[in-house]
Amino acid sequence: MTLSTCLLLATALFAVGIYGLLTRRQAMAVLLCIELMANAANLCFVAFSRFRGGVTGQVFAAFSIALTVAEVAVGLAIVILLYRSRGDTRLDLASEMKE
Amino acid sequence: MSPPILLALVALFAPAVAALLLVPPAARRQGWPAAVVCILGSVVSFGAALALLANQLGDPTPQTLAVPWLHAGTAVVAEAGVHVDGVAASMLAVVTLVALCVQVFSLGYMHDEPAPAFGRYFAYHALFLFSMNVLVVAPNLLQLFVGWELVGVTSYLLIGFYFRKPSAAHAAVKAFWVTKFADMGFLFGLLTLYCASGGFRWDAQLAPETATAVTLLFFLAVVGKSAQFPLHVWLPDAMEGPTPVSALLHAATMVAAGVFLVVRANPLFAQSETTRTLMLGLGAGTALFAALLALVQTDIKKVLAYSTCSQLGYMVAALGAGSVLGGFFHLTTHAFFKALLFLAAGSAIHAVHSNEIGAMGGLAKRMPLTAAAFVIGALSLAGIPGFSGFFSKDLVLEAVEGKLGSVPWAALLATAFLTAFYMGKVVFVAFFGEPSGENAKHAHEPGWSMRGPLVILAILSLVLGYFAAPFAKLHGETYHFEVGLGPILGATLGVGGFAAAYLVFGRGKRETVPAPMAWIGRIANAGIVDRIYELGYRRVTLVFADALAWFDRYVVDGLINLLGYSTLEAGAAARPIQTGLATDYVTAVVVGAVCVAAWAVTR
Repeated sequence: MTLSTCLLLATALFAVGIYGLLTRRQAMAVLLCIELMANAANLCFVAFSRFRGGVTGQVFAAFSIALTVAEVAVGLAIVILLYRSRGDTRLDLASEMKE
Repeated sequence: MSPPILLALVALFAPAVAALLLVPPAARRQGWPAAVVCILGSVVSFGAALALLANQLGDPTPQTLAVPWLHAGTAVVAEAGVHVDGVAASMLAVVTLVALCVQVFSLGYMHDEPAPAFGRYFAYHALFLFSMNVLVVAPNLLQLFVGWELVGVTSYLLIGFYFRKPSAAHAAVKAFWVTKFADMGFLFGLLTLYCASGGFRWDAQLAPETATAVTLLFFLAVVGKSAQFPLHVWLPDAMEGPTPVSALLHAATMVAAGVFLVVRANPLFAQSETTRTLMLGLGAGTALFAALLALVQTDIKKVLAYSTCSQLGYMVAALGAGSVLGGFFHLTTHAFFKALLFLAAGSAIHAVHSNEIGAMGGLAKRMPLTAAAFVIGALSLAGIPGFSGFFSKDLVLEAVEGKLGSVPWAALLATAFLTAFYMGKVVFVAFFGEPSGENAKHAHEPGWSMRGPLVILAILSLVLGYFAAPFAKLHGETYHFEVGLGPILGATLGVGGFAAAYLVFGRGKRETVPAPMAWIGRIANAGIVDRIYELGYRRVTLVFADALAWFDRYVVDGLINLLGYSTLEAGAAARPIQTGLATDYVTAVVVGAVCVAAWAVTR
């Protein structure tokens, strides 16, 4: 296991996340894809920390996880409101975010 | 602080205190108390001025009190204070005495005004006298300018006293605008003087070209204030003010300010032969032109107004010929006899309720004192030997004689004849012969408040000519009267003019403008200059202003409107990008991020 395999894995995760982000219509799926992308970044932090030495990366990863939790909380709240207001969470039906 | 300075300060600030006391409306509304305050201020001012004059006659050393006024950093740009010398002392005495006489006269003349207007009238008078005194005692040209402008404002208030009458309001605005246009010359002259000499002194030494520029600019202001051609147009209109105001503004004070400026700044004017030549020509021309116009007036105040223009022409011509004494002495005698004429005319108008000389007639029997006063003034103005006007006019003629090929001299001699003629006309038509109406038949003398000033001014008009020698001494010059060609010629023309007037008007004829004179009225019509200004205003100023307005509306505003319009259009064009779908926004973010990354990699 080397740094490059870890980075390759992280890139793959990130790419999957982006793909899902752009193609999915369900809010929950989009939220999950964002999680994938965030964890790809966390993986990079940890990998660099492991192979290059130092704990800075790990500290950042811990911060990032905490941040992601907060973000998910907000995201889920939005999804719930979306569901309550229209009984569906498909993003292409919600087009009020203009003007 | 030396006594002369103290006296000058008292003379200066007594009317200012009176004016300040009359600032609260409650003080003015009562009417009579305001008059008392104003006249008390003038009495104190006149007393101090008289004491100052006596002092200067004994010890003519000039004295100055100057305090720093305008600062720029550590340097003092200008000072304010009082300057006492022969010129200031004599002018101060003349101004305060005439103002006092006019104010006392006004007690009777303005008696029928409602109390608030009566109080307002005297408040203006106090302010006016203070303004004039600021000008007279100024230690430098900048303070003189301040007084000059104050006089302009207060004269506006006084001319427009009957402001509910449209013609009076119009006349006040006209006087203000015309003199303000001319004052531009004073302001630019001061700036030029400051740039060239670093100060506002009237005895600065300048390069010849600078001196010419500065004095020409000052002369523009003089032309406006002293009503010389072609800026004389405001003066006849200014007769819309109450008659005592005319006596004050057009005899001793406002119009005299222009001449006073030249007397004051004589060391500057002496440095420019060009300006002096122009003054000589313009003064003599104005004298003759205005005398011709005075000839065809039938309104007694208009006659006096044009004669004021004409006499100011004499003064300007004398100053142009380099005779400060001649110009200033004529200013002094003119101040008294013209104030006398205006007040006597005011007394006649008060009795007859008309300005037209045709409506008067035979007043000498019914108002002997007024008639005597007017006749004394007229004889003095006409330059009849023995009266004060004779001596001063003689000085002017003597100074002008031989200059510029004697053309101005001839013009002034012709003016002397015309002056005697038109004054004779007024005297014979208005005061002798038969009354021409019911009002003239029942005219009677006014009260003592109006007769007293007439008596004082008449006495001065009679005797002032014999005080030419001490007057000359005040200015460091000498004077003695000699019988020669000049005085004999002047006397002959004066007497001849009166005699001619008697032949034409004195024998029962009631026609005020006989046919042979009417053509002068048509040719030298008073309206011509006004019409030229009007034409210039309509054809040049308004057209230019319209062009500028068009440019502003369609080019300047157009550019701004175009900018706003294109912004709106661009916004409308970009609006469809915003779909409101979260997925689209995310796509945009991703595309943007990829672009940034691509740029970072390939850089």
